[in-house]
Amino acid sequence: MSDVSNGPSGNQESVRDRLKSPAGHGEQSGPGDSRGSDLSTSDFQQTDSRTDAAEAVGHGHGQLVEHGTTVLHPGKRVPLDDAAARAAERKVAGLFLLAVVGVVGFVVCFIAVPFDFGTDYSPAYTPLLGLFMTMALVGVGAGAVLWAKTLMVDEEMVQERHPFASEPETRGEAAAILAAGFQDTGLPRRSLLRNSLLLGAGSLAILPVPLLFGLGRFQHKEDALRTTSWKKGVRLVRSDGSPVKLGEVAVGGVETVFPDVPDGNKAADSASLLIRMRPDELVVRESRKDWSVDGHIVYSVVCTHLGCPVKLYEQQTHHLFCPCHQSTFDASREAKVLFGPAARNLPQLAISVDAQGYFIAQGDYSEPVGPSFWERKS
Amino acid sequence: MVARSWLLASLVVLALALVGGLYTAIGAPKSEAADGTNQSIAVESGRQLYLQGCSTCHGLNNQGGAGGPSLVGVGQASVVYQVESGRMPLANAAAQAVRKKPKYDRTQIDQLAAYIQSVGGGPQVPGGTLDDGQLAMGGDLFRTNCSSCHNFAGAGGALTRAKYAPALTPASARVIYGAMLSGPESMPRFSDTQVTPEQKKDIIRYVRYITHAADPGGSSLGHYGPIPEGLVIFLVGIGGLVLVTLWIGARA
Repeated sequence: MSDVSNGPSGNQESVRDRLKSPAGHGEQSGPGDSRGSDLSTSDFQQTDSRTDAAEAVGHGHGQLVEHGTTVLHPGKRVPLDDAAARAAERKVAGLFLLAVVGVVGFVVCFIAVPFDFGTDYSPAYTPLLGLFMTMALVGVGAGAVLWAKTLMVDEEMVQERHPFASEPETRGEAAAILAAGFQDTGLPRRSLLRNSLLLGAGSLAILPVPLLFGLGRFQHKEDALRTTSWKKGVRLVRSDGSPVKLGEVAVGGVETVFPDVPDGNKAADSASLLIRMRPDELVVRESRKDWSVDGHIVYSVVCTHLGCPVKLYEQQTHHLFCPCHQSTFDASREAKVLFGPAARNLPQLAISVDAQGYFIAQGDYSEPVGPSFWERKS
Repeated sequence: MVARSWLLASLVVLALALVGGLYTAIGAPKSEAADGTNQSIAVESGRQLYLQGCSTCHGLNNQGGAGGPSLVGVGQASVVYQVESGRMPLANAAAQAVRKKPKYDRTQIDQLAAYIQSVGGGPQVPGGTLDDGQLAMGGDLFRTNCSSCHNFAGAGGALTRAKYAPALTPASARVIYGAMLSGPESMPRFSDTQVTPEQKKDIIRYVRYITHAADPGGSSLGHYGPIPEGLVIFLVGIGGLVLVTLWIGARA
């Protein structure tokens, strides 16, 4: 494209004039031609012949020039001494200078306006920076738009692409090479080779079939979705690892607890909420009487709907509230679902107290925690 | 009222000067009698305030009634939280008490609190500076214990049935301490054995820090985080650009 300016009197001519210019026809690559300087002479011949075809079509309404370029709206150069053009030029220059002011203002502001996050803070700092940056960017951008609209030659033209397909001869030649290569392998002549290859490659398709029926002895044993890190006798610890002792949590209090195993506080399925209420407020079925200790009860915080942390506990109503979809559970009644899309009660962790008075788990959760999954029966 | 406060204040100053002077002069142990006298004056003033302003609902002897619960054993912490945040006296019955301009000044609140504390005891907010804890530790504790309801930026959030966790921005250090200790309304209690007084100060430091942080980008959008921020960028920013583009296109 840079070749365009190589015309004899480059910057005095319109684009159209330059395209028409006979000089340097052989090396000139047309504007918008994606193949750049690699064009061979034959490519130009091709383009030129297509131009002729386009010319035949285009003659009816538009003008047509070289290299497949059709000018839709010829433009006119604005004379240098035109008063309106000079005014427009001054406007463009003004906008460009506005950009300079913006840049200078930005730099001055950046250095001079006091700003130290949190302590020495001027509320005007960021807005001022934004204002000056806007001046700089809008100045250049608006100046360029105004320039293009008022001073540039407004000419609209279309250049057709060359066809993507190669020459028929080239394609025929390539096909012949491939066919010859296939003959050279010997496959068409040696039927044993051909048939054994088909059999061997075809048998590969059977390889993945056993994988459909599990991985055999490599199949993983632990059932990740049904188990958590809680085990019999594991202490209930806070996120910092300190164990929770009976009596530390007041009536009406809650504590987020994790199993006291390595990385227990990072196990997403094991996070649980220890809630303490008055023992007489707690209503549980007979078989779960010994799952709680003196009004202390532990539930999984993983919502049975979509797994959000259910930790919004209201100590007067004993509601456990999920912030994602408003599922509400009654912590005083085995985390029964009161409202919302949750499918099941929150699983309850059976707890007891060890000899030192710290809370321990009686075992893992009796049911899978969290949302439903495909293989889950209930 | 003002004159009485001045009288009380000067009495306190006088008593303190007397005690201090005695202590430095003869090394005698702090006089229990002087302290006790101030305490009983505060309790008596508090009782008067209580009878005028609170007893209609909470009963003449703190026993509670149709309008309000018993205050026996709620402690000074509860009074500090409820009265200093303006929630008590209650304006009208609703799902939960709303924050208002406090009806009582600091001295009166302390007198009321001294009176309630004298009736059945209960948890107490300590004196002194409460927001000088460790910031990072407070952040850890806040995210574990508080952020699920109060939002990670302390902006508050909805609970069930028209109840809500309030924003923490207007809460003073004493009010936050009182809330943790007393567990008002829906809020769970965080006793000193569970969250130690030092940890409570850490949390207060963090809450005061995040709720009063500078917003260098202009509007904080309620500190609700990246989702509303992204929404504003998308709607206002990109929407504005689309409009400008359309305008330029229409002019061309």
